[in-house]
Order: sequence, then C-alpha cells, then structure tokens
Amino acid sequence: MNPTPVPSVVRPPAKRIWLRCILAVLLLLSVVIAVEVVSCLHLSSDTRALRNSLIKSSGVEWRQRIALHAGGLVLSTVRAGLSFVNLDAGARAALQSVRGAEVGVYQLPVGAKPPDRAVLLAAADAAMTARGWDRVVGVMDGSDLVTVYLPGEIASARRMKCCLMVFDGQEMVVVSARADLEPLFKYALAQPAIGNKVWSLVCR
Amino acid sequence: MKNLICHSLAVTVLAAGVSLNVLADPPPGQVDFGKLAMPGNGGEFVEIQVNSNLLSLAARLVEKQQPDAAKLLRGVQLVRVNVVGLTDENRDELTKHVRQIRHDLDAQGWERNVNVQQKDGEDVGVYTKTRGGEALAGLVITVIEPKDEVVLVNIVGDIKPEQVAALGEDLNIKPLEKIGEALKK
Repeated sequence: MNPTPVPSVVRPPAKRIWLRCILAVLLLLSVVIAVEVVSCLHLSSDTRALRNSLIKSSGVEWRQRIALHAGGLVLSTVRAGLSFVNLDAGARAALQSVRGAEVGVYQLPVGAKPPDRAVLLAAADAAMTARGWDRVVGVMDGSDLVTVYLPGEIASARRMKCCLMVFDGQEMVVVSARADLEPLFKYALAQPAIGNKVWSLVCR
Repeated sequence: MKNLICHSLAVTVLAAGVSLNVLADPPPGQVDFGKLAMPGNGGEFVEIQVNSNLLSLAARLVEKQQPDAAKLLRGVQLVRVNVVGLTDENRDELTKHVRQIRHDLDAQGWERNVNVQQKDGEDVGVYTKTRGGEALAGLVITVIEPKDEVVLVNIVGDIKPEQVAALGEDLNIKPLEKIGEALKK
C-alpha cells in the first residue's frame, strides 16, 4: 500500500506579501493623517482651560471665529516644503524652533459691554496656576490685555511651552506654542548690537 | 521598637520643620511690593516676573556665545517689574504706597544709593542690599512720575556689580555699564 503523500506547504507568492505590507503602511498612514486632521480642529487642554476661564469670567457668550492646531506632522511638512524656498534667516530660525502651535480667536457679540480686564486677568491666573503655569507678563493698556504664561517647571530649552492671550476689548486671541529655543537663540545672539536692541525694547 | 519609632518620628518632624522654614523665608533681597491699586478703565498696568527657572534656561542658552551674560544670569534668582499708570483716582494712594515701600526699605537696612528728585516732579530711588560686602543680594528701583506712572523693579540674587558693568561693556549697553559703575561705588 502506497503511503499517503504529505501535502506540501503552500507559500503565498512573494508579490502578495509585499502587497499586504504596502496596504498596511497605507492604512497606517491614512489613520495618522486622519488623526492629524482631526487634531487640527482641537485645542490642547491647557489652551482650552485658559479660554474657558476667560469666557466664564466674562459672563458673556463669545463667538468662536477660529480654532486651529498645527502639530509636529504638519509643521514638519511645512518645514520640508519651505526648505526649498529662500527665506530670511530669522524666519528660518523661527520655523526651525516651532514644534507645535495652536490659535483660537473669539469675538464678543455686537453691542456687548467689554468685560473688566482685571477680572479676566484674575480668572486666567487662577486657571493657569492650577495647571502649573506661571504668569511671566501681564499688561493692561487702554482696552488691551496681554498675558504670557510659561510652565512652572522648565525641563529643557528644547521643549519649551508658552501660552499667550491678547484681548483688545472686542476680540480675544489665545495662542499656545511648543518650541525648541536653541535655533532662535543662536540666531538672536548672532545679530549685531542685540544687547542694545533688547535694552531699547525693555526700556520703551 | 518603640524607641525606633519615636526616633524616626522625631527625625521626620525635624526635617519637615527645617524644610518648611527654608520654604517660608524669601531670599533676603526680595521685596514684597504689596497689593498695587490697579488703574481704572483704560489705565496702564504692567507686571513682569521672571524667576530662576527661566533665568537658568537663558543662562544655558547664551553660555557659549556670552559667558559673562550667562554668569550674571546664573546669579539672578528673580526679576520683577511693576508699572502702574497714575490716574486721578489712584495717584495719591499709589504715591503714598511707594513712599511706604521706601520707608520700609530704610527700616530694613537697605542702602539708598540714589535719590533724585527732578524739577518735573520725577522721583527716583535706588536701594541695594549687600551680601558679604562684595555682592548684592537685592536691588530695588522706585520711580514716581506724578503725571504718568509709578515703576517698581526688584532684582534678587547674588549679583556682583563688576559683572553688571562688564556685561554692559560686552553687549555695548551704555545704561547697563553706568548702572554697574554706580553700584561699584
């Protein structure tokens, strides 16, 4: 009696394996792009906290005009694209520094009384202090209010974060950025008479 | 066993007490300007506070290109600037407040280096607190411009006047050079 032949293992052709790999990569890329696109329309939790504290303390319903977030992928793409363009050295240093940015613009309803700037400042301070941020700059002039917050603990210049708010009596802009400060500092320090320029700005 | 627990508790309480004591005392050169009366609608108010975190970061960034500036920045723990616009509502109160700050500084042993009163009413006072006779633990500048604003500056740290003058020379900032020279005297 002849022995039953052992069926040979059927391997898929090499072409099919490659096709599956390419499809997997494309699927992964689509997911990453989709996540990046969705995140473009959402602000980070710290920026949202700043915005919400200002809106709540004002007692008025603001109209959102824009809320955008540009993460690492978007900015890397922009940097790659602009590497072929002849840019000013300062602009290039700034572009190399920024690692992520987001902006929200909100407007008071027409005819609404502008909220008290001191109240807005106190609310923003409370919200940001609770999240571990320190106010570095606070300016009120005319109907304008400008505040700048930095994290209480700064680990490294390569991962610097900053939150900024500007209110001009009608419109409020909330900006947050992550940056590697080294390229920017190198550019600034290479400028002639940078010391005098900074001193003039400080003393203005 | 009981002794061990008691000793451990005693050491913990002592350590906590020391830590709290360290945390509670601000540096000798730091001055509390108190609550400044905010100006009414439209008035100017500026507050800048840069602490040692940011200053150390700046020192690390400029170390290679500007070692003198880095050295000076490392010696500074806090820079605080307040500018408050004067209006009819807050002028008297703020002027009185600044004079009280000056009075307190005199009482606390701060040295008054500069006291200038100009014809237009501008009143400038510069106070320093020395550390060991060679360095400054603190610097306070008070300016009253009766028609305009009040300015208060407090710089805290371990600042050597010759570093300030040298930095002014390196960066070609004449006012800084003059301040450094004035502090040396």
